[in-house]
Amino acid sequence: MEEIKNVIEIKNVSKDYGDFKLDSISFNVPEGSVCGFIGQNGAGKTTTIKAVLDAINIDEGEIFVFGQNIKGNSAKLREDIGVVFDEMGFHEFMTGKDINIMMKNIYKNWDDNVFFDYLKKFSLPSKKPCGDFSRGMRMKLQIAVALSHKAKLLIMDEPTSGLDPIVRNEMVQIFREYVIEEDHSILLSSHITSDLEKISDEIVFINGGKIVLAGNKDEMLEKHGLLKCKKSELDSISQSLIVYAEEESYGVSALVNDRRACEKLYPGMVIEPASLEDIMFFYVNRK
Amino acid sequence: MKGLIIKDLMCLRKQRITFLYIVAVVLIVSVMFVLSAKFGNIAVSNRYMIAENDLSEIDVKNLSSLALVLFMMLPIAMVGDIGTLFTADGKAGFANVSAVLPISIEKRVLAKFVAFISFLGIGVGADIVISLILSLLTDMLSFVDFVEIIITGASVLFIYCSLFCLYMFIFGYGKESVAGGVSLLTIMLALMVANFEKLKVIYISCFIDSAQVIDVNPINVIMNVIKDKCISALIVAVVVGVLSYVLSVFLAKRKRGIV
Repeated sequence: MEEIKNVIEIKNVSKDYGDFKLDSISFNVPEGSVCGFIGQNGAGKTTTIKAVLDAINIDEGEIFVFGQNIKGNSAKLREDIGVVFDEMGFHEFMTGKDINIMMKNIYKNWDDNVFFDYLKKFSLPSKKPCGDFSRGMRMKLQIAVALSHKAKLLIMDEPTSGLDPIVRNEMVQIFREYVIEEDHSILLSSHITSDLEKISDEIVFINGGKIVLAGNKDEMLEKHGLLKCKKSELDSISQSLIVYAEEESYGVSALVNDRRACEKLYPGMVIEPASLEDIMFFYVNRK
Repeated sequence: MKGLIIKDLMCLRKQRITFLYIVAVVLIVSVMFVLSAKFGNIAVSNRYMIAENDLSEIDVKNLSSLALVLFMMLPIAMVGDIGTLFTADGKAGFANVSAVLPISIEKRVLAKFVAFISFLGIGVGADIVISLILSLLTDMLSFVDFVEIIITGASVLFIYCSLFCLYMFIFGYGKESVAGGVSLLTIMLALMVANFEKLKVIYISCFIDSAQVIDVNPINVIMNVIKDKCISALIVAVVVGVLSYVLSVFLAKRKRGIV
């Protein structure tokens, strides 16, 4: 059996800001996969991404990208990483042409033709200052930049937040096309779990600076279930199966961490499939 | 790194009209000043000052030269405004972009320094052209004098820019005016310490005992410093530049996300 290669390996990484701590987190992103990084705002997604890119100093732990420790190698490794943030970061007076001139003098593998093809594909004018672009256009511009230097790994921090569903779907389609190449991988952070359900292979769920869940998305969705019952019935269910229960107008809704076992043990109960949003909601409220 | 320098030069592109306007104005005003000092009203007033105010011809020449020097410094000062670079980067949130580019922190900091050196180079180039024209029109200052003045001016601005960069790495984006103010204060303090004896003499002659030191004319002192200390200024500028770069890299590595 072929060994699974990881494009990102995070081992016991900690970063203490005083009011927030990334607490000894560990997870991997396998090569060729789309890893959805979910968590509410302020959970530590951006801090983790910055740590992976060596844009912040970490207090403890190790991070490997493409099998190499980022310490001392980050500048070289970033040649193969495309990054998209929730905010554009380019100067508002810059046009697509200006960005092309700048980037081709930065990335060794920058391809002008690919960049202008993407601008055309995304209907982005190359002579218009990007300050005049809408939020969706700005995101597309960032994606065009990220995809124009033959990056093998895309790291995106909330790229779909604040966008309308049409543009979000377009973006998901772009990401799908990108991962057709088998050595292309994506780490995609978002709190919009519906986008991640469409595209992710793996899910890493972070909450309060700690990794709550990490693993295959389908297995995660298969494993969890949403149990609907009366409050009196809830007491009869093994507490080890329940992640968290919430009272609703008609009774109780509880997230169970082993749907199949629950169905076997309590055949009369209604257990619906849980979405990523449900999983996130119940795990966050568990505290 | 080249890409970052190009981006910074693009930031300056917005100011190119203003820069050309300033160069044209400086050239016209300087030529008018030189012609007037030679044949016109300024020449008449110079003669009047020599006759009435016990001023020597050298004093008057230095006074006129100082006016010319001030005009000459404008193009360099204009492009030396590197605060606009940091303001533009801060406003755009460009630090997020540059932090994930395949460029080391050392090179990112170096790009900033090279960018402002390039800006100064543009100002110096414009000044040299103006000097060449003016040196052909006047005997107030020779071309060599002009070049010495430009070197001194550019060195002072280089020191200012180096300190500005360093202070920006200390204070962070949005604190451009603080960094500018502290840089100016540092330079003034250093100049005062370095010229303490001369300043003491000037102070005594001006405010305590004017009879004690009659030879000291502040304008002559300033002109002599500007012309005679150009090599010293250049050396100090290089030293301050190197030190600022090393400290800026150290700070950028520790703080991250500021360049």
